[in-house]
Amino acid sequence: MRFLRSLVFTLVLTASAGLVKADPPEQVAASIDRLFEAAWKANGVEPAPLATDEEYVRRLYLDLAGRIPAASEVRSFLADTREDKRQRLVDELLDGPAFVRHFTILWRNALIPEAFNDIGTRQLVPGFEAWLWKHFSEGTPYDQMVRDLITTPIDYGDDPQALLRSASSPSAFFIVRQLAPENLATGTSRAFLGVRLDCAQCHDHPFDKWKRTQFWNMAAFYSGFRPAGESPDAAMMMRREQKDVHSIRIPSTGETVEAKFLTGTSPEWNDTAEPRRILADWITAKDNPWFARMAANRMWALFLGQGIVQPIDDFSDNNPPSHPEVLDLLAKEFAANNYDLKFLVRTIALTRVYQTTSRLTHESQKDPAQFARAALRGMTPEQFFDSLAEATGYYQPYRTDNPFVIDGETPRGRFLELFRDENESPLMKETTILQALAMMNGDFVDDATSLEKSQTLRAVVDFPLMSDDERLETLFISALGRKPRDEEKQVFGKYLKDGGTAGNQKEALADIFWALLNSSEFLFNH
Amino acid sequence: MNAFTRRQFARYSGLSLLGASMSGWLPQLAASVQEAGTKPIRSCILLWMPGGPSQLETFDPKEGQKNGGPTKAIETSVPGIRIAENLPQVAKVMEHLAPIRSMTTKEGDHTRATYYLRTGYLPQGPVQYPTMGSFLGKALVRPECDLPSFISVNPFRAFSPAAYSPGFLGPAWSPLVVASETQQDQSISFQVKNLKPSERLASAQVDSRLNLLSTLETSFLAERPDGPGRSHLQSYEKAVRMMKSGAVTAFNLDEEDAALRDAYGRNSFGQGCLLARRLIERGVSFVEVSLSETANGGVIGWDTHTDNFNAVKSLCGVLDPAWATLMNDLKQRGMLENTLVIWMGEFGRTPVINENTGRDHWPGSWSTVLGGGGIRGGQVYGVTSDDGMEVRENPMTVPNMMATICRALGLNPEATNLSNIGRPIPYADHGAVAADSLIAG
Repeated sequence: MRFLRSLVFTLVLTASAGLVKADPPEQVAASIDRLFEAAWKANGVEPAPLATDEEYVRRLYLDLAGRIPAASEVRSFLADTREDKRQRLVDELLDGPAFVRHFTILWRNALIPEAFNDIGTRQLVPGFEAWLWKHFSEGTPYDQMVRDLITTPIDYGDDPQALLRSASSPSAFFIVRQLAPENLATGTSRAFLGVRLDCAQCHDHPFDKWKRTQFWNMAAFYSGFRPAGESPDAAMMMRREQKDVHSIRIPSTGETVEAKFLTGTSPEWNDTAEPRRILADWITAKDNPWFARMAANRMWALFLGQGIVQPIDDFSDNNPPSHPEVLDLLAKEFAANNYDLKFLVRTIALTRVYQTTSRLTHESQKDPAQFARAALRGMTPEQFFDSLAEATGYYQPYRTDNPFVIDGETPRGRFLELFRDENESPLMKETTILQALAMMNGDFVDDATSLEKSQTLRAVVDFPLMSDDERLETLFISALGRKPRDEEKQVFGKYLKDGGTAGNQKEALADIFWALLNSSEFLFNH
Repeated sequence: MNAFTRRQFARYSGLSLLGASMSGWLPQLAASVQEAGTKPIRSCILLWMPGGPSQLETFDPKEGQKNGGPTKAIETSVPGIRIAENLPQVAKVMEHLAPIRSMTTKEGDHTRATYYLRTGYLPQGPVQYPTMGSFLGKALVRPECDLPSFISVNPFRAFSPAAYSPGFLGPAWSPLVVASETQQDQSISFQVKNLKPSERLASAQVDSRLNLLSTLETSFLAERPDGPGRSHLQSYEKAVRMMKSGAVTAFNLDEEDAALRDAYGRNSFGQGCLLARRLIERGVSFVEVSLSETANGGVIGWDTHTDNFNAVKSLCGVLDPAWATLMNDLKQRGMLENTLVIWMGEFGRTPVINENTGRDHWPGSWSTVLGGGGIRGGQVYGVTSDDGMEVRENPMTVPNMMATICRALGLNPEATNLSNIGRPIPYADHGAVAADSLIAG
């Protein structure tokens, strides 16, 4: 029955999407590569060579599964001789649960970055993640997800605990913005349209086209939230929505303005028209000038480190895209493919641009906006800890009643807290001293490099039939997803042969593993 | 081939710090400050009172008024200034302090108020404002110091983690967090987490590990001259520098005279204040110490909705000797005129006493204190009404408070940092004005 329903659904969608011809990912990827080749040529840029299989397999696991590949996964990819093995790996990872988990984290970071700032909103994170998880696992089209988010019911009456009890809800998007019309206007515009209204809240911006009235026109769509109880100070979660309110008073001028779209047109109001539903329909409409482009830009930035428009949510005349045709093409095909996020992932992952090496081979590759070489990208705290767990053979226990709740007292909880970073751009990632100290001297890495406690190290040390070269190679593949290079074989091979400073081969292996886990090559996606 | 060459690794890869003698570094530091020939860079100690301390039981007592409760006022070292009886030792150093009785905000929620007082800005929009320790630590940084410019002792972050973060300044300016530990003999010590390598490693093995790491970093980053890699390397360099530095002896309070340790109070706040002095002495720019416990280690905090009078009294039992000793100690060492001391929480308490003999949140009229470097002590700023419900003179807003702090530290409140959305953000919000009368001439 369920299969039948989804089949009917697919047919209907295919029919409606048929209005615009949807091209397959590999074809779109090839078109993007042609656009870049032309741009590089015009700008005198010499692109970096294609990434090796070792580089590609690590990068793809980090981007699609949220962790580095296991040593066995690296080895089987390297041994695969099929010509289309990169494309096959993309498909394989996109079908796996790790993709759902990783994208849940990425989109949680994108939509409620403020959630970790206070104890109240932290509690809403598991419910928000459960909501994202549901949509990513079902493959919900992006426009439907956004519509579901913007129109989610906000009516907790006098029982705010209802919010925390609801297992799966995008409410956190509203709560972290204090249910304030002005915060929701800026939050929605930035997240889904890439339009920054923030400055227009207080004044007409001299260099921008957004006027203060337009800001409040947008805010008016969210003007119906009212305290549920008598007290005006009632807790934020004790709100109801009056669905027939679609005007708001500008505090500084006292003027009252109606809800109006950013394009300047007014919605048609009738008895059943709910402001947030009307706003959601306009935002996700096929002819909305920003919606698909913003999503395509965000996805591009997730894979390449920065957007074609950068900052990713600042589309304006003063901040033109680096490669407008690429963005237009991605946006057009995204809409034609029924806003399927996996279509964007497939397309981007198959481009030659995504598959360049991160080695700088020519001066002209230094400008990140040329996308001529893969960037060194910071990981999310989750990517980092899950990679560390993969490399060291640490088994992560999950809470069985709610896997979205992270216990702060577990190694994972402690690492996430220590490595949480408010910086949005992975190209601006910075390391703190406390992070460095934790990696150098902390218990987790200490255990991972202890002969008694480390799974990976013990396997390497205890396996009787391995040569020194093979032991070295296993440690490199476990941590860095690659075999040691010749010069590394010499330096590290000699260190191993001599038994390091302790004159003990087992200790020397621990030293080498420690150095690998502390290296930039391990810490970054590249 | 590119800017990031092997040469730049020399300092790291050779780990020149490994063998360097750190003995005698303290006089060198003092000399380098003097050599500069200009006004010495000031430092700042923030005594942070999470939960919101009652102004009526500290610096704005209302003896004889209904709202004043049983709290009595006492004379101080400055004729005419009277404060609550809970702070007898602080009363004796009043010539170095300037209580501000006219703090006024609209924020009565712990999370928002904590963010406001600690960053100078309300949480709003996408700008992630840095906590004052981050931006002041950055403005006052001494490159020759082996320790981070901002150190946070026993922070209480639960109300608002963002209020303790470097925000848009990035992790390079995040605080080094130090937590106190109670030893078996009940003595208090401080540890920087993970500062020492595992005990099973000989120091030669630690050094050889760093050399292996250096080999990996050199080949990998030479071909990838990007910001994140540079930051990674710099942090490791700073961490190793600190691990090897004599400056970490700052954390070894056993070096201090037992009588002085007793005077500060043998509890984590008292010993934290002593640690703050030792850190400032070694060139750290900003140290904050939080107080939320009683002398016997019970955690109650300043959020005294019930049993206000006893609770504040026991908290003051910890605060009073520690703070007064800190002021005297700084003065004796000639450090007071260059060290600003701030005492504050996120708001005050309701003048009206509730049915649980407690006081609730009150942002409308409450007290903070500035003292030491850059401050003209021995005066009171602002006046509240007899019932404590209103500010009558010289209202002090948060932006003006931040501007006053900047001026006392010799900084321009209008100086800016570039925010995460590309907008320059001044230290103190636009339009802020420092209270001139509080600034030492």
